[in-house]
Amino acid sequence: MKKLILSALLTAGLAGRLCAAAAEDSKIFTPFFDMTLSEAAFLPSEGNIFSGGNINTQVGLLSKITQKDQLFALYNFNYTGQGFTPQDSKQFTDRSMSHGFNFEYRRLINDRIRVRPGIGFNRGYSRTGANEAWKNGLYNMNSAGAQLAADYTFDEEKNGYVTLQYLYRSVEFPNYTDLLREFQNAGNSAETSGGLQDQTMGQISLRPSWNKFFGGLTYTVQNYKNQKVVANTGVYGTTKQKDTDTALDFGFHHRLWILEMYPMVSYTIHTSNQNFMKYKFLGDSSPQFAADYYNFKEMNLSVPVDLNITSKWAIGGALSLQRRAYDKRYARNADNDFISAKQVNTMSTLTGSIRKRINEVAMVRLFGSFIVAGSNNKFERYMPYNYTGNSFGIAYQLSY
Amino acid sequence: MEKNMKRLILIFLALFLVKSPAFASVDWESKGMQIVGEIIANPAGFFYDFQQDLEGTTPLPPGKRFGIQTGLFPTTIPMTYTNVSAKVRLHGEGRIAPGVPQLDLIGGYWDMLAAKMATKDSETVDKAKFGGYYVGGILSTSVSPRVRTFWGYKHSVLKAKLDFKPDAQGQLPQFMGTDLNDIDTGFKDDFFIAGIETPKGIGKLWSIQLNYGLKTQVFSSKVSWYGKYFELGLNIYPEGVLVVHPVWNFHLNF
Repeated sequence: MKKLILSALLTAGLAGRLCAAAAEDSKIFTPFFDMTLSEAAFLPSEGNIFSGGNINTQVGLLSKITQKDQLFALYNFNYTGQGFTPQDSKQFTDRSMSHGFNFEYRRLINDRIRVRPGIGFNRGYSRTGANEAWKNGLYNMNSAGAQLAADYTFDEEKNGYVTLQYLYRSVEFPNYTDLLREFQNAGNSAETSGGLQDQTMGQISLRPSWNKFFGGLTYTVQNYKNQKVVANTGVYGTTKQKDTDTALDFGFHHRLWILEMYPMVSYTIHTSNQNFMKYKFLGDSSPQFAADYYNFKEMNLSVPVDLNITSKWAIGGALSLQRRAYDKRYARNADNDFISAKQVNTMSTLTGSIRKRINEVAMVRLFGSFIVAGSNNKFERYMPYNYTGNSFGIAYQLSY
Repeated sequence: MEKNMKRLILIFLALFLVKSPAFASVDWESKGMQIVGEIIANPAGFFYDFQQDLEGTTPLPPGKRFGIQTGLFPTTIPMTYTNVSAKVRLHGEGRIAPGVPQLDLIGGYWDMLAAKMATKDSETVDKAKFGGYYVGGILSTSVSPRVRTFWGYKHSVLKAKLDFKPDAQGQLPQFMGTDLNDIDTGFKDDFFIAGIETPKGIGKLWSIQLNYGLKTQVFSSKVSWYGKYFELGLNIYPEGVLVVHPVWNFHLNF
């Protein structure tokens, strides 16, 4: 589920980058190229050293048909490797890869208003620590859909504009199956346990931006096509699962003397009508019912600061905090029993780095991070909730 | 001198960020076993990553007609991949018509010397053949006076064959308690290449590229710096056994 929220945010982020590509007046074709690469080693307090990387490549072409009409095509390759992840999201060893294609038509209505209808396709692959072939990943995902965005420029001098966007995606998980249900219905010849993650996603966002300050309000709805909500009797009822996210974010990117700051803060309210049955072991005859198990509120804050000591070199520091508090989910003790307190997860990362500008389009960064993850949930047989870790690595960025 | 001092200080700073006591807890032995296990599970994948180190997948510098290249590290040394690669320019950028990209043909071949020697000297290795080749083409186009993007295709093939024979006592060689069977494996795929190149100094270039295998979904990211004679690189194979390969290649372009 987390994967989907991530992909939704990614789509929103991508839309932002799409908007960033601007045509040069003299050219019919303007290419867009952005490649980032990072590779790091991770040392968790529990478990052995491992390495993981991230690769993001975006290549696009903006074509100016007339003074008022433009076409923009973008291909995006993304790979997310092993790494420390927030609690309740995924395993350290999970990896994912995706190919995204976006086509957008841009039409200037007048000096201030521009509309951008578009379509998008995405193919996502996932892999666990078992090193299965990419095509066999349980959470492999295909999505297709359309979006419509409108930009209104209110301050040309300081690049002030506001974007309203609606985005729709139909998402399929071709490999996903509920193994337990397959096991229980071994005699059933009909496919009843597949397609449970298939869903449609709708997202509406309003994002103002002015003088390198930006923010936004994003509302996302995920309607599951087949997955039903589990009732307190332990059986799935007739209501289909529906999740929503309401997110508010704000940030800026400013330079003050030799200080370069780009902090960001966001607050997300996640709701889901899905409930949870806690079985302490396979065949537990008195499972515990937990209503609205997945609802939470999450706060993210990141404050990166670069100190530009010369035009080429910078020393950087970054603090990032994440806090997720569940509305109704009780934390568990080490014996897998619910305790009276609601579950709260926190993850803090402190990063130090050195950045070198290779030239006007490329840079390299060496970084080291210290991470502290804490939670009042002490049941950690499957996922680590309380750990510390170190990571260090190298990152390259080239964008044109 | 002052510049070097500054570099040195920055490198030391970077090293301090890596908290050295943290390394004390690393279980290098189990990490080593894990790596060996991954090589055995997919030997062709492991050896192919080194082939990618010697593959010349950047375009010829503007104005050059052909080039030759040989990989020095980690290909010739220590992997004993004797290798040669070549690039030929079919037409320069804008030569046929304005805006038409430069087109280069690329290709290369390698043969593992150690495999040959093993066959000659070993009592248990009957036949060994490790080698491969690649062919392809690269389109490059300037997007500004200082930036070139390039797009390419390559077809890569690797063949790894190792036959064992029993020694004088009739025993097959063993690894971790099990008899080693003949290895006959290989790797073959068509790759899509996308990259960008920008100058780093006079006569020195810097590039970053993505190679993506369409069938096997093997991928790598190559960062390289190159001048008149040498190329230094940092090749990243995120899903490979050895994730980071530092690379040193020699080339001449005419």
